[in-house]
Amino acid sequence: MFQMLSNPAHAHMWLNHVPTVGFGVALALFVVARLKRHDDLTRAGLVMFFVVAVVAIAAYLSGNAAEAVVQDRSDISPRAVRAHEDAALLAFVFMEITGFVAWLALWQWRRVPKLDRWQLPVVLLFAVVAFGLMARAAEMGGEIHHAEIRVAAPASKEAEAEAAAGTARAIGMFVSGHPWVWPTAETLHFIGLSLLFTVVLIVDLRLLGVARRVPYAAVYQLLPLGMLGFGMNLVTGLLFFMAALPQYIHNKAFYWKILFIVFGGINLLYFMLEDDVWAIGPGDDAPLPSKIAAASAIFLWAAVLFCGHMLPFIGNAF
Amino acid sequence: MEFFAYLEQTGFSTWVRESRSLFAYPGVLLLHTCGMAVVVGLAAGIDLRILGFAPALPLAPMRRFLPLLWVAFGVNAATGTILLLADATTKLANPDFFVKMAFIFAAVIVRRSIDTRVFRGPESEPAPVTSGAKALAAASLVCWLGAITAGRLLAYVGPVSGL
Repeated sequence: MFQMLSNPAHAHMWLNHVPTVGFGVALALFVVARLKRHDDLTRAGLVMFFVVAVVAIAAYLSGNAAEAVVQDRSDISPRAVRAHEDAALLAFVFMEITGFVAWLALWQWRRVPKLDRWQLPVVLLFAVVAFGLMARAAEMGGEIHHAEIRVAAPASKEAEAEAAAGTARAIGMFVSGHPWVWPTAETLHFIGLSLLFTVVLIVDLRLLGVARRVPYAAVYQLLPLGMLGFGMNLVTGLLFFMAALPQYIHNKAFYWKILFIVFGGINLLYFMLEDDVWAIGPGDDAPLPSKIAAASAIFLWAAVLFCGHMLPFIGNAF
Repeated sequence: MEFFAYLEQTGFSTWVRESRSLFAYPGVLLLHTCGMAVVVGLAAGIDLRILGFAPALPLAPMRRFLPLLWVAFGVNAATGTILLLADATTKLANPDFFVKMAFIFAAVIVRRSIDTRVFRGPESEPAPVTSGAKALAAASLVCWLGAITAGRLLAYVGPVSGL
C-alpha cells in the first residue's frame, strides 16, 4: 500500500479508479433514486458526485506525476499519453462542474423543502456528459501501455514533437508565455482564498462560540460564497500547475496541500448534512461534535494555505 | 534613504532576509498571508452582508468578529513592517508599494466609518443599513481588492529585489 502511494505512477493507477468507478456508481444510484422518486437516495447520489469530484482533483493531478515517471520508457507512447491527458482534462472539467451543481442542489435542499424543477435534471445532464468523457479518458489511458504501440514507438523526433502538443500543454504555454497571466492568476488566487476564509471563519467561529446570537441557518447561507472562492482557486491553481508542472509534481508541500484539500471537502459534508448542527438556533451553544468539526475545518484550510505558501520554501517551486 | 539602507542592514533585517530558517522570511510572510485572509475575509463578509448578500443573516451580532479583524490587522501591521525593513530601499523605491499603502489606509478609514454607522445600536436590534453604509461597504471591498492586487504585484512591477 505504501509502495503504491510512493510511486506516482502507481498512485495514479490507484486514484484514477475513484473518478471512473465511483462516478459510475454515483450515476447509477442517482438515476435509480430519481426513477423511484426516493429523496434520501437522491441526496446520497449528490453526496457521491461531490466526493468523487473532490477526489478527482487528486486523480487528475497525479496523472502528470505518473507521466514524469514513465515518459522516458521506450514502451510508452507519448502520443497516447498526450491524448489521454487532454481527454482527462476535459472529463475533469465536466466532473468538477457536476460536483459543483450537485453540491449546490444539496445546499439548497437543506434550506427549502423542494428544489427548483431544473436543478436535478441539470445535475443529471452534467453527470452523464462527465461519465462519457471519463470513460473515454480511461480507455485512452489504457492504450498508453498496449503491446502494439510498444513495438512502434521508439523515442524519435516525431514523438518528441508530439510530446509538446495537446490542449493541456497549450494552456500551460499560454500561461507561461504571457507575462501578465501568472500575476493576474496569483492575484485572483489570493482573492479566492480570502473569500474561502470569509466563510470558513464566520461559520466555524460561530460554532466555536463567537457571535452566538446568529443561528446556524443564517451563516449556512454564506457557504456558496466560500465555494465560489474555492472554484476561483481551483481554476487559477490548475493554470499554475499546467504552466509549471515540474515545480509541483516533485513537490512534497504540494502533495500535502492536495491531501488537505480532499479532507477539507469531506469535512464540508458535515456542515451540509448533520442535523445537530442545523438545529443550532440563536444563542445556542454548539454541541461538541460540531465544535470539533468547526475546529478541524479551520485547521484543514489553514493547512492548505500553509502548504501552498511553503511550496517554494519546503518544496522546490520557483 | 540612507536611514533605510541602515535599517535594511541591521542584524535583524539581515536575518529575516537571508536566514534559511522557516521562521525567518517564510514564517513572517506566512503570518502576513494568514492575517490577510482573516482581515479581508471578515471585512468582505460584513461588507457583502451590508450590500444585501445573505439577507437572513442578522447583521448586528457580526460586530463580534471585529476584535478578531483588528487583531489580525495588528499582526499584519507588524509582519508588514518586518518585511519592509528587510527590503526597505527596494520597496520604498516602488510606486506600487505606496499604492498598496494608500488602499490599506483608505480601507481602514472606511471600515471605522462603516462600523460606527452600522453597529452603533444594541446588538439585539437590527442594524441600520443606509444607502451611505452600502456605498461605504462597496468602497471597502474595492479597497481590499486593490490592496491585494497591489500587494501581489509588488513581486512583479517596479524595482523588484526577488524577495
